[in-house]
Amino acid sequence: MTDLLALSEIWKRFGATIALAGADFTLGAGEVHALVGANGAGKSTLSRVISGHIQPDRGELRLDGRPLRHASAREAIRSGIAMVTQETSLAPDLSVLENIMLPRLGQRGRLDWRGLRARAGRLIDEFGQEAGLSLDLPVRALSIGQRQMVEILKALAIDSRVIIFDEPTASLSPMESETLFGIIRALAARGRGVIFVSHRLEEIFSVTDRITVLREGRVVAAGVATDHIAPPELVRLMVGRELSDVYARDARSGRAPGNVVLSVSHLAAPPRVRDVSFTVRAGEIVGLAGLVGAGRSETVETIFGLRPAAAGHIQFDGQAFHARSPRAAIRAGIGLIPEDRRGQGIVPDFSVRENLMLAHLGDHRGPGLGYEQRTSTVQALLDTLGLPAHRVLDASMLTFSGGMQQKVILARWLLLGPKLLLLDEPTRGVDIGTRASIYALLRRIAAEGVAVVMVSSDFEEVIGLADRIVVLSDGVTVTEIPGDLVDIENLAMFAAPRSSAARTRALLTALREAHGGIACWIGLDGERLFCFDRVGDDEAADPGFAAGGFAPVAATRIAVALAARAEGFVSEADGRASLLVPIRGRRGHDLGLIGLTLPPGAVLPDAAAVRARIEAATAIPTQTIADAA
Amino acid sequence: MSMTETLPGAPARRSLARRLITQIEARMLLLTLVVMAGLSLVSPYFLTTNNLLNAMDQSVVVGMVALGQTMVILIGGIDLSVGSLAGVTGMVLGLTLPALGLPGAVGLALLTGALAGLASGAIIIFGRLAPFVVTLGMMSIGRSMAYVISGANSVGELPAGLGRLSTDTIGGLPVNFAILLAAYGGAWWFLTRAKGGRTLYAIGSNAEAARVAGLSIRLWSILAYGFSGLMSAVAATFLASRILSIDPIGGNGLELDAIAAVVIGGASLFGGRGSIIGTLFGVFIMVFIRNGLNLLNVSPYWQGTAIGSIIIAAVLAERLLSDRGRG
Repeated sequence: MTDLLALSEIWKRFGATIALAGADFTLGAGEVHALVGANGAGKSTLSRVISGHIQPDRGELRLDGRPLRHASAREAIRSGIAMVTQETSLAPDLSVLENIMLPRLGQRGRLDWRGLRARAGRLIDEFGQEAGLSLDLPVRALSIGQRQMVEILKALAIDSRVIIFDEPTASLSPMESETLFGIIRALAARGRGVIFVSHRLEEIFSVTDRITVLREGRVVAAGVATDHIAPPELVRLMVGRELSDVYARDARSGRAPGNVVLSVSHLAAPPRVRDVSFTVRAGEIVGLAGLVGAGRSETVETIFGLRPAAAGHIQFDGQAFHARSPRAAIRAGIGLIPEDRRGQGIVPDFSVRENLMLAHLGDHRGPGLGYEQRTSTVQALLDTLGLPAHRVLDASMLTFSGGMQQKVILARWLLLGPKLLLLDEPTRGVDIGTRASIYALLRRIAAEGVAVVMVSSDFEEVIGLADRIVVLSDGVTVTEIPGDLVDIENLAMFAAPRSSAARTRALLTALREAHGGIACWIGLDGERLFCFDRVGDDEAADPGFAAGGFAPVAATRIAVALAARAEGFVSEADGRASLLVPIRGRRGHDLGLIGLTLPPGAVLPDAAAVRARIEAATAIPTQTIADAA
Repeated sequence: MSMTETLPGAPARRSLARRLITQIEARMLLLTLVVMAGLSLVSPYFLTTNNLLNAMDQSVVVGMVALGQTMVILIGGIDLSVGSLAGVTGMVLGLTLPALGLPGAVGLALLTGALAGLASGAIIIFGRLAPFVVTLGMMSIGRSMAYVISGANSVGELPAGLGRLSTDTIGGLPVNFAILLAAYGGAWWFLTRAKGGRTLYAIGSNAEAARVAGLSIRLWSILAYGFSGLMSAVAATFLASRILSIDPIGGNGLELDAIAAVVIGGASLFGGRGSIIGTLFGVFIMVFIRNGLNLLNVSPYWQGTAIGSIIIAAVLAERLLSDRGRG
């Protein structure tokens, strides 16, 4: 395979942080190459160097063997390199067409609107129909998944030879991801080079040819064939140690949660939060899991008084609670560590000490500052957090690493001794070493009796850390599961947006109407069953679990059928009969099972016909990429 | 807590030279001295007691307005209405003086200024409007009201008691200048030692972070504009005491001098960065240069160009120095 793109000895430094320390990378034409690493390993920096968004301090880029030195993303686009970013960079007031063709506006020459329109129309026909896109919709009106799709079409529209996908699935459901992977494979088949940046292992193994692993700005594995590496080994490479060390799972056991500290019922705060209910006890870590845009951040912000609630009821510390402002929440004993550290956490012109004292200042009554009264607590906290005391005197914390910054923000809130701590993506942009110490710290805080709510998009992190996981999807609580009872795949299924699960729902409804009984969509993990959706309420056909529920297979009422996994209907001892049909992604990726349970004595329809119907309805259409790219 | 100098990443002890570069106040003091030295070289009359007393007198009105303006600029806002508010509050003072007496009339003028400022602030904050536009509107309203309530006539023959604000001395300093210094001292305390002052900085630096941390960003933002309006009225009072007559055009163009002084004094128009002591030196530099140009008999037509160039040069120098200080 000839190298399409070759990078050698790339160095990049941001302030005191060395993001890339002599990284090498090669990409062949026609391959999908994974760029993986833990948060802060430098994979995003490296991809932004390739895309021309940032310039390396040192090092060389070659495209087709020719040295490449692009001063801007526009020049990179001109040489055929495009990036699909995780945070969409779309212009919300422009139409889908204008957004797709946006890179063209930066190119020389006159615009041929008719040609652009025809071309964009072809792209949408090929890829965008699934997402329900049309050319003239303003991007403002699109869902997050649809926006991601526009972002992808934008990269396809400019004849890119190298396309970088930077965490493209962060806001996609498993089904939308499947479609995307189909597009990625098709691009590679047509000789494009695809760089796939992700930290989701199952995606890396299902879609890529080779893997390059970065750790702390260095390449620790260069272009290893995906077939030649096993998941545990990849994790070891990314993390530099066993994952179990990072989460220290065993520390979770043996702790009895205390009283209910926070109880949220049917909370609504439009547009994102629609119906959220959950409780948190003292000493407990509750994970709010879901996709980007599921309404998790908005939920904690509403509890904290940053957004008005439209409906619902919150109880805090045994009393009805309604925070009109963050100040009220703080004085009641709640702390919030927001997701966007630069935007909502750090005051850039304040010294580290004053940043540390910021929430104290909000809590403090009286005209003065009252910093002195916290001095001893600050000392103790700095020791606990492992922050060097002299750095507190620094005039700015912008030179700190992401992990250090997060520790200062954590200390800001711990200083006040909160009863409830809300954390929104607490390890975003934090290096793996500091992550482990933040996890340990959160455990310790919880063990001291603080109720902890953690929002995270990293399912692995939620599963590793939370005692209980509350899954939100499109602003609605879909389920609540103990953290040690669920795996990443089934958690992802629960988190799928209702919009993308609508097709499955339609199938379930159709099955029930045609045959009666109860239709359900379930996932299996060993001896455990998870029910993602269920249609029908015929008591006699009840499979023994509800939508959003989970149970050991043996405890359901269709245990025999679940154990048999036969081609046809399988009857239980009491006579209810079930047909289970697995649904699979294009490359055999497990997307769960569709089940139809009929009451005892029902006339069983032809199993093969039902099976064919289910398979037809759940097949992800195979598109050809012809003409489009 | 160990403070070993050898630890990697520990801030090295700041040398005097480095402090002069990194601290706004020190930098501005240095710049003021340089300007004074330069002017004393070109004009022997510059450093005479008479001229310095004159310069002190001239710095009071713009200094008072710049004090309020600093608070607004620190939160990332701007107040264009200060000159007009000085005009209208001056007229309030002059017109009510016969009926209310000096303390009553001054009180009413101050109240008018503060209320006008609070109104601007409330409209900006609750209406989520650009400060530039709202205070531009208030600037127009203020000037118009100054003409309306005065019928476009000036008020003369003000009581001598008002004039004493400018003529009396206290401890060798003119009393108006002593009040200016005291006001700046109080503002310095407020901005560095009080919750409200730190809140103003936090709002200008990152309002969202301040809000999440529970600071009252709306209250303090509105108060900043209210204070700026109040200081316009204070300035109008001192202006009236100096010339013992009040004209509806009074305070015209004061907003630009005040903003220039704040900017020369090192504050960032984006907010969050600046110092009240820097502003005071900014006022001195402005006054000295204008004074020096007069001493040198530079045509008033050319003075605008000179002052404008100095503003731009000062801001450029500030940017270069502060970038170096942080690197």
